[in-house]
Amino acid sequence: MASIWHGVRAVLPSTVSEFPLEFNEKIEFSVLNVLELARDQLYSAPDSPASAEKAQVILDYSWEKLNTGTWRDVDKEWRRVYSYGCLFKVLSLCHTNPSQYNIQEAIKTCDMSLIMGAAIMDNILQRLVGILRMQMKSPNQERSEEPCSKKMKQDCVSEPVINPAQEVPRIQCPSLERFRSDFLDPQRPVIIEGITDHWPAFTKHPWSIDYLRTVAGCRTVPIEVGSKYTDEEWSQKLITVNDFIDRYIIGTAENGVGYLAQHQLFDQVPELKEDIRIPDYCCLGEGDEDDITINAWFGPGGTVSPLHQDPQQNFLAQVVGRKYIRLYSPEETKNLYPHQSQLLHNTSQVEVENPDLVKFPDFSRASYQECVLRPGDVLFIPLQHWHYVRSLELSFSVSFWWS
Amino acid sequence: MNWFGFGFNGFGQIRPADATCKVNTPVLISDVCRSCVIRSDCRVRASWSSRAHVHRTDCGSHVCVSGFGFGSGSSEQMCGDTFPESRGCTDALISERHLTLNFTDRVECWEIQQPQNKLVWKREQDLSANTGQTAPLPLVPGGYVMPRSPFFRALCSELCAVSLALGTEHAVLLTSVGTVYSWGSGSHGQLGHGALTAQDEPQVVEALWGVPIQTVSAGSWHSASVSTGGDLYMWGWNESGQLGLPSRGLEEEKHRAKSGGNTEQTINKDEKNQADMFISIQAFPALVDVPNVSEISRVSCGSRHTAAVTGTGDLYTWGWGHYGQLGHCSESSTDEPTLVDYFPTHSMCVQDVVCGLWNTFVSAVPKHPPS
Repeated sequence: MASIWHGVRAVLPSTVSEFPLEFNEKIEFSVLNVLELARDQLYSAPDSPASAEKAQVILDYSWEKLNTGTWRDVDKEWRRVYSYGCLFKVLSLCHTNPSQYNIQEAIKTCDMSLIMGAAIMDNILQRLVGILRMQMKSPNQERSEEPCSKKMKQDCVSEPVINPAQEVPRIQCPSLERFRSDFLDPQRPVIIEGITDHWPAFTKHPWSIDYLRTVAGCRTVPIEVGSKYTDEEWSQKLITVNDFIDRYIIGTAENGVGYLAQHQLFDQVPELKEDIRIPDYCCLGEGDEDDITINAWFGPGGTVSPLHQDPQQNFLAQVVGRKYIRLYSPEETKNLYPHQSQLLHNTSQVEVENPDLVKFPDFSRASYQECVLRPGDVLFIPLQHWHYVRSLELSFSVSFWWS
Repeated sequence: MNWFGFGFNGFGQIRPADATCKVNTPVLISDVCRSCVIRSDCRVRASWSSRAHVHRTDCGSHVCVSGFGFGSGSSEQMCGDTFPESRGCTDALISERHLTLNFTDRVECWEIQQPQNKLVWKREQDLSANTGQTAPLPLVPGGYVMPRSPFFRALCSELCAVSLALGTEHAVLLTSVGTVYSWGSGSHGQLGHGALTAQDEPQVVEALWGVPIQTVSAGSWHSASVSTGGDLYMWGWNESGQLGLPSRGLEEEKHRAKSGGNTEQTINKDEKNQADMFISIQAFPALVDVPNVSEISRVSCGSRHTAAVTGTGDLYTWGWGHYGQLGHCSESSTDEPTLVDYFPTHSMCVQDVVCGLWNTFVSAVPKHPPS
C-alpha cells in the first residue's frame, strides 16, 4: 500500500517552493497563514496529525464562506481555498498505509472539491481521484449476491396516451441547415432520431447499473430527495453513486424518491464523458463548445421535474428508460402561473398531470405538445420553452444547454 | 473576575504558548493584566483568529489583542499587545480585518492584519448630542458601524435602539421597550419573520410582539433573544443543533460515529418516525427549553454554537463543538443545551459569556457560601 503515497506524492510539486499559494486580497492573512503552515508541514512532516487539523481548519472556515450569501455571489477565491483544504485533507488521509475507509474518504474529499470548490494546481484533485480510484476494491466483488441484471431493470408502468394532434414531431438526422430553418430559427420543439447511435453509451459500454458502479460507484454526487423540487419536504444530499443505486434504484419504497438531477457528472467523471457526444447542431449556437453545460439526470421511475423554463437552448438525450414530457411555448406563460418568489419564478405552480383548475383556471386554456422520449431520442427544447418531465421507469438522460 | 476561554485556539488566542488548536475545557486566560482581574468592567471581544480585551486602567481605557499577528507567545506582553491607537477608547469591536474603536468624540475603524495598522474610516461624534447614556458598539449616535465598507449605516432614531447584534449577514436590534427588529439576509430563517427572504430595512419580529426582551445575540446564521422573564427564544439555521432543537445532521453524525466510520450509515427505520421532529431551518422564534433551568439571563451566539448563562450562574452550551467551543471536555456537537460542568465543579458562578466564531469566553467569580 506504500505505493499509494508514492503515486500521490508524484502528483505534487517536488519542492515546497514550487507549491503555489496565491490568492487575491479577499483572503485574510490569518487564513493564508494556516494555508502556508499546512503546505510547509506537508513537505517537512507530512505524517504529523497537525496537518490533518490544519486541513480541517481551512475546510471549516472556507465552508462557512461558501455558505455566506447566495452561491452565485460566493467569491471564487473562497472556492479555491476550499479546494486547498480538500487537497491537504486528501494528503493527510493517504499518508501512512491508508485503509479502504481512508481511501474512500479521500475520494469523497476530492469529489467535494470538484463539486463545491474551484480547480487549483492544474486540477490536481481530478488527477488524485484518478489515482485513488484504482486503489478501491471493485464493488462488483462485494455485491455478487445482488440480483445482478446486466441491463438496468425496467419495471414498466403504463405509458400515457399521447394525443397524436399534439405530439412533438420526429425527424431522422436532419441536416444542420434543415434543423436551423425548420426548428432552431422558429424555436419549434422536435425529437431528433438516429444521432446517438454511435455513442459508446449505446455501443461499446452500454450504460447499465453495473457499468455505472464500475466507473463511478465510489464517487460522491449530489442527489435530490423528494418527489419534486417544489415540495416542502424536498432536500439535497451528497452520497456515493453506489449508495444512490442501493437506496433509490434497487430499494425505492422506504427511502422516498431520489434523483441525481442536474449534476455536471461528466466533468467529475471523465470516463463517462467519453461515452457521449455533443450533438453537432450545438455548433449553430454562438457559444464555444466549452460553454455547453452537460448535466446528468439519473433516477428511478416516478421522478418529476415540475413545469419550468431554462434560459438556454436544450438538447435532452435519452439513454436509458423512457420519460413523459410536456412542452408549453413561452407565449403560454400567462396561463401557467409561475411562482412569485425570485427563487422559483421560472417554475409553474401548476401540477401538470393533476392541475387544480379552481386555483389555476387559465391552465386548461394553455396549448401544449407532448411526447414519450425513448432511448436514443434527442429532444430539442427551445430556449424559454416550459417543460414538464416525468420518468416512466428507471431512466438516465443527458442534457446539453447551449446558446 | 476571571475570564476563561475554550474552543478554537489555532492562533493562540486562548492559550498563547499552546500549539493545540482545540481547547475543549475552560482554561483561565492567564495573560489578562492585573487591572482586568481587579476591576469588573473588562470586556472581551473575539474574531475568528484573535481576542481583544477592552479594559480600564488608572490611565484610561485601552484594548489589548492576542492571537493572529498579536503578541502570541510573548511572555513580556502580559495582556496580548496593547493596540496603541486605542488609548482613551470607551468600547471596541474586533473582526477578522478590522478593529473598531469608540471614543467619546469619534468612532474609528482600523484595518488590522496589515504590516501597519491603518485607519480606514472615521466619524466624528457630536458631544452635545450625547445624552451620557451610550449604547454599546456597534451602535453609535445616529446609527451603527460595521466592519466592512461603507462602515456606517444610519438608524431611525425612533427605533430607540439599546443594543445591536451583527451576524455575518444579518442584524438583530433591541429597543428600549424590549422590542426586537431584524434585517439583512434571511436565507436560513435568521430574521425570524417566517420567510427566507432578505429585508433591507429593520422589521419588527412580530412573533415576539408582547414579549419584552432583555438581550439579543446573532450568530453566523442564527439568532437568540432572552425575555425579561428569562425565557430563551431562538431562530435561524439548526445545521449543528445551534438552536437547541433536534438536528438531523447531528443524528446522522452520531450514527456514523457508532457504526465505526461507515460513512453511509443513515438513520434507521425506527427513528424515521421521528423525522418530522428534526428542524433544519426555524424561520420563527422558537421557545427553547433548557433542561432544569427556570431562568436564562444572558445568551451569546458563535458561528454555529450558542452559550447561555442562567439566573443561578450556570453556563449551558450547545451546537457545533468540533473545536471544543462547548467546553464539555469533548469535540462533539450537541443539539441539547448542556451544562458546562467546569464552573460548578470549581465552585464558580458565571457572570457573562461572549462567543467568538468558534470559541467561547466566560467571566466567572468564586461562589460565596450562603451566609
